Amino acid sequence: MAHPAPVIEITNLSRRYGKTEAVNGLNLTVRPGRCYGFFGRNGAGKTTTIKCLLNLLRPGSGTVRVFGLDPQTDEVAVKSRLAYVPDAVAFYPWMTVRDTLEYLASFRAHWNRELENDLLQRFQLDPAKKTSALSKGQRTQLALIGAISPEPELLVLDEPTSGLDPIVRREFIETVIGAYQSGDPERRTVFVSTHLISEFEGLIDEFTIIEQGRELLSLEADAARDRFRKISARFAQAPALPPLAGALRVRQTGREVEILANGTSDQLMATLRLLGPEELQCEALTLEEIFVATDLLKKAKA
Amino acid sequence: MILQIDFKAGKPVYLQLVDQIRYAAAAGRLRPGEPLPSIRPLAEELRVNRNTIAKAYAELESQGVIETLPGKGCFLKVNSSPFTKPVRDKLLLTEIDEAVVMAHHLQIGRDKFLALVQERLDYFERKSTQHDSAE
Repeated sequence: MAHPAPVIEITNLSRRYGKTEAVNGLNLTVRPGRCYGFFGRNGAGKTTTIKCLLNLLRPGSGTVRVFGLDPQTDEVAVKSRLAYVPDAVAFYPWMTVRDTLEYLASFRAHWNRELENDLLQRFQLDPAKKTSALSKGQRTQLALIGAISPEPELLVLDEPTSGLDPIVRREFIETVIGAYQSGDPERRTVFVSTHLISEFEGLIDEFTIIEQGRELLSLEADAARDRFRKISARFAQAPALPPLAGALRVRQTGREVEILANGTSDQLMATLRLLGPEELQCEALTLEEIFVATDLLKKAKA
Repeated sequence: MILQIDFKAGKPVYLQLVDQIRYAAAAGRLRPGEPLPSIRPLAEELRVNRNTIAKAYAELESQGVIETLPGKGCFLKVNSSPFTKPVRDKLLLTEIDEAVVMAHHLQIGRDKFLALVQERLDYFERKSTQHDSAE
């Protein structure tokens, strides 16, 4: 099968602020129809990267392509096909919800009124209310309606659910899955940067972990859960452990052993089985646990 | 039909759904001709990617377990396997071999193994008839 042209293609991107390298040689490819997670600690370079996609910042070096176009030279063509929800949303405070949506729609060639109305009802947002009177959750909901109603090919979400209550977060994600993704699945791509990884676990089919401005790990979610495993074993007596290849971390407290495996869980299970354990278990790490474990991965690489 | 996913199972999410639907069909919780949940509400409910559900349904369709009626959705097929008998036997043998190997390592003998198989067959049959009589 021929690979369709990527929606986002970042090659060797670098961007510095003064002497600080915010992004430093990042590579990343997002194919159409995917939900792509972009994970990293605070200050890892996520927002800087996203700003380069939107031409809110110019790359220091390297290239950024969105829909195969350069956001710097083809800004309008790029922006007309995407929508962006930042972490802190600001609206004109004197406008009502209705005014705000009209204002946003005026920039768009296409706007799905039916979808807009469905979402207003779903979120129980009063169109007559001033945006200055909205809660943080309601402002995010309004931003999401503004982003989904034009039915863009690419939805860029930068920490969209941080600071929201669990119910609003849940609705947000359900809306992205239902109202956005189901519209035209082949051509609805999501690029989401977040810390709340477990919330998005089921939605993400591929991800990159960024660390100090470059990619530390890029994987399919299923492949990642296959590769990173936690093995727990209990023995009759505290065992003397043989060398454990591919173990990111080994913790032993007396008779109990816990191993984080990086791609070698089958071999490690076989090794442990030879020691005659009373109990032996293996489970996948969640994406959030994998993100936390990358700290260990980094040390293993160094 | 209630479907559940477990990210810690280490099995791709779409395959978890395939397994559960096949199980539900074998246990009579889902009967031939009955509809499967629509993709969008199921994706929202499980909070998984819409494509994951679509992939699971495509897999079930290629296995001949379900059929898609355009504009109507997916339904459990009446009698399902698209494979010839020798292929079906071979597919099942692969699975049985795995259980046999497992039994060997767990020191479960021939008689106990056969008794367990018997018991499981009865269990599914019972469940299946229960669901029928519940109508």
